[in-house]
Amino acid sequence: METSELLSNYNTDFNTWDEMFDQTSVRTQYRDVVDFLQQFSIATLNKKEEQAKRLFMSQGITFTVYSSGEGIEKIFPFDIIPRIITAPEWKFIEAGITQRLKALNLFLKDVYNEQFIIKDGVVPAELVYSSPHFLREMHGFPVPYDIYVHIAGIDLIRDSDGSMYILEDNLRTPSGVSYMLENREITKRLFPDLLPKNNVRTVTQYPSILHKNLVSLSPRQTANPTIVLLTPGIYNSAYFEHTTLARLMGVELVEGRDLVVDNHRVFMKTTTGLQQVDVIYRRVDDEFLDPLVFNQNSLLGVAGLMSAYRKGNVAIVNATGNGVADDKAIYTFVPAMIRYYLNEEPILKNVPTYQLGNLEEREYVFKNMNTMVIKRTNESGGYGMLMGHTATESEMEKYKEEIIKDPRQFIAQPTINLSSAPCYMNGKMQPRRIDLRPYALFGPDGIQIVPGGLTRVALREGSLVVNSSQGGGSKDTWVLAG
Amino acid sequence: MLSRVADSLFWMSRYMERSDGILRMLKMNYASSQDDIHDFSWKPVLKIFTYLEDEACNKLAFQGRNVLQYVVTDRENPNSVFNLITLARENARSGQDHITKELWQCVNDFYHIIRDERLPRWLQEEDPVTILDDLIKQGMLFYGTADITMPRGEGSWFMNIGKYLERGIQSAGILDVKVSTIKNSNEKGADAAYWRYLLLSLAGYELYLKTYRGGLEARNVVEQVVLNNQFPRSIAYSISRLHIYFKRLKNEKNAHSLSQIDFLIGKLASKVQYSTPEAIIQQDLHLYLNDIIGQMNVIGTAMDEKVFSYL
Repeated sequence: METSELLSNYNTDFNTWDEMFDQTSVRTQYRDVVDFLQQFSIATLNKKEEQAKRLFMSQGITFTVYSSGEGIEKIFPFDIIPRIITAPEWKFIEAGITQRLKALNLFLKDVYNEQFIIKDGVVPAELVYSSPHFLREMHGFPVPYDIYVHIAGIDLIRDSDGSMYILEDNLRTPSGVSYMLENREITKRLFPDLLPKNNVRTVTQYPSILHKNLVSLSPRQTANPTIVLLTPGIYNSAYFEHTTLARLMGVELVEGRDLVVDNHRVFMKTTTGLQQVDVIYRRVDDEFLDPLVFNQNSLLGVAGLMSAYRKGNVAIVNATGNGVADDKAIYTFVPAMIRYYLNEEPILKNVPTYQLGNLEEREYVFKNMNTMVIKRTNESGGYGMLMGHTATESEMEKYKEEIIKDPRQFIAQPTINLSSAPCYMNGKMQPRRIDLRPYALFGPDGIQIVPGGLTRVALREGSLVVNSSQGGGSKDTWVLAG
Repeated sequence: MLSRVADSLFWMSRYMERSDGILRMLKMNYASSQDDIHDFSWKPVLKIFTYLEDEACNKLAFQGRNVLQYVVTDRENPNSVFNLITLARENARSGQDHITKELWQCVNDFYHIIRDERLPRWLQEEDPVTILDDLIKQGMLFYGTADITMPRGEGSWFMNIGKYLERGIQSAGILDVKVSTIKNSNEKGADAAYWRYLLLSLAGYELYLKTYRGGLEARNVVEQVVLNNQFPRSIAYSISRLHIYFKRLKNEKNAHSLSQIDFLIGKLASKVQYSTPEAIIQQDLHLYLNDIIGQMNVIGTAMDEKVFSYL
């Protein structure tokens, strides 16, 4: 293949896996797309980039940033070049995530009931009980179909040798799925006919699978149960996602103030009186869900919700208390869980992780801080991280002090060289680091993973942080049919 | 439908209608100001459509372009088109899963247009009629999209109730601006020109020409804008549509709580139905219009208390 202007200066890092380029040529799965893009002039591609921005803006796929009292609409940056996953790669990912999710769900059932895994010494009791997301309220409470994690967004990364690693398990209220759906719609508009030519598998079935699972959880035996999506409200940065999912599933979008609990049943306030609610897909964190049980200052939740839940009068999705399983300190034990519960070898690897609560490991990490990423065990969104390879001496010293105050709250991982993928930047293709979040749905019929996901991309050159709160963007994610 | 969502749709619709009324009123007054032989005073507009104190009104009264900018884009003016569209969009967002995607995009697009940072400068430097027409067209798109895409049912009923309640108030307000102007001027010819702009901005000029012979007369304009049931911006028409959509809300469960509002609307409808232009003018048009606006506001408050209040 000729290298055109578009591909000139596509310099991949020597020790980084590039999704498109294998040091000598363009990988097979990217060839059609690269050919397709090369037929456009730089001016046309710039126009397409502009068009993508306009489409996001006009559809209101935005979040509001408040500064000096006025709301400003922002879009999550979108890169126009899709990320491509081959059929064999996807098969592997699918098997790995299914296995992991099964084990994590069994772990939740176990720690909130008999706790075999603790008694057998596989997971230390201290780690479970010291997790702030461990909820005593869940103990001994049988959730419908033993499913705790109805929706999981497990993050994957690819290291320099091309193998996939699990970065973290998001089992509480994983977000971003609307971007999986909308990014695909935008690609259809930007590059007509490109998708069918490449045999890309569709992702549009996601809302209907989720809806089917929600219906099946209804505690009332009724043909038409009332399902609601509970949102913190229009000022939440993910509000667009909440409305999109509610609209695509045809369920009611409610705020905490729309619900009321009476005699351990949940009702919504309608223009024709109270209507009983059967299933709540909540996008409000545990902590704010019920002011009678958790944070009593919360206005986002519903007083009495937990009692209705524990009585079995309403189903809550995802279950409360899941945070104990995606705690970054528990993460280390997931491979052991897989062996313990499933008697299988883990398909997807963990990133090696050091528990800073453990003295020996802490000393090792302190010695090698510049090659480590240190994270808080209960933060997400890329907040409170220390990237050892870029941190200054004094930042490291300060962080050490923080760690020593409460070592249980920290873990460290060697810096993983996230793989790179081509992004369209200033008229050129340039490699930027990416990760992958596929969305797994767990219903009474088993686990289904929609072929696709959210590819997050670190838009700054050389950056390894893909979180949207830290200057990350996203890409349409293609899974090719065999 | 959730009470909160019903409330949001009602207000989204009211804010859209109000911004439409304000834009039309501005267009008419601007056109009129270009004909006036004296300095055109914007004071009645400011008195009726903003919350400015007397002193501030007097200051702005003869600065047409600044008035346009204040009423259309000013962040500090709670009733500016900018703020109304922002509120309409917030309400649309809050009921987003109950309006069609098309309608949401329509409100969202209007929001991005009204936020264009070049707009205040254009209002100062360009032809205001072109700018106001473009904005009015955004509102028309909203009406058309609502009509063609919104399913008939509670959601559209609440939107229509909001729309016609607000339209009645706006038409009364627009007419009232004129009444205040008459008191300030004795120019006979200018009067006819003003009525013409009023009718043009309400899209009622052709209807007037077809109905009446012999020029523009206050009596006939009052008859058309207040009493003509065939004129879609008349007060009588707005009230009768309001009544029709309100009746659709009724069912066995809520009949009791709605009967009081039904009474209020019925009372207002009869007041208008049994009025004549002569009687209105004789009794004082300004007082008559203010009484109507007052009664409309009472209906709005009652909607809040009886229909939207959560529980």
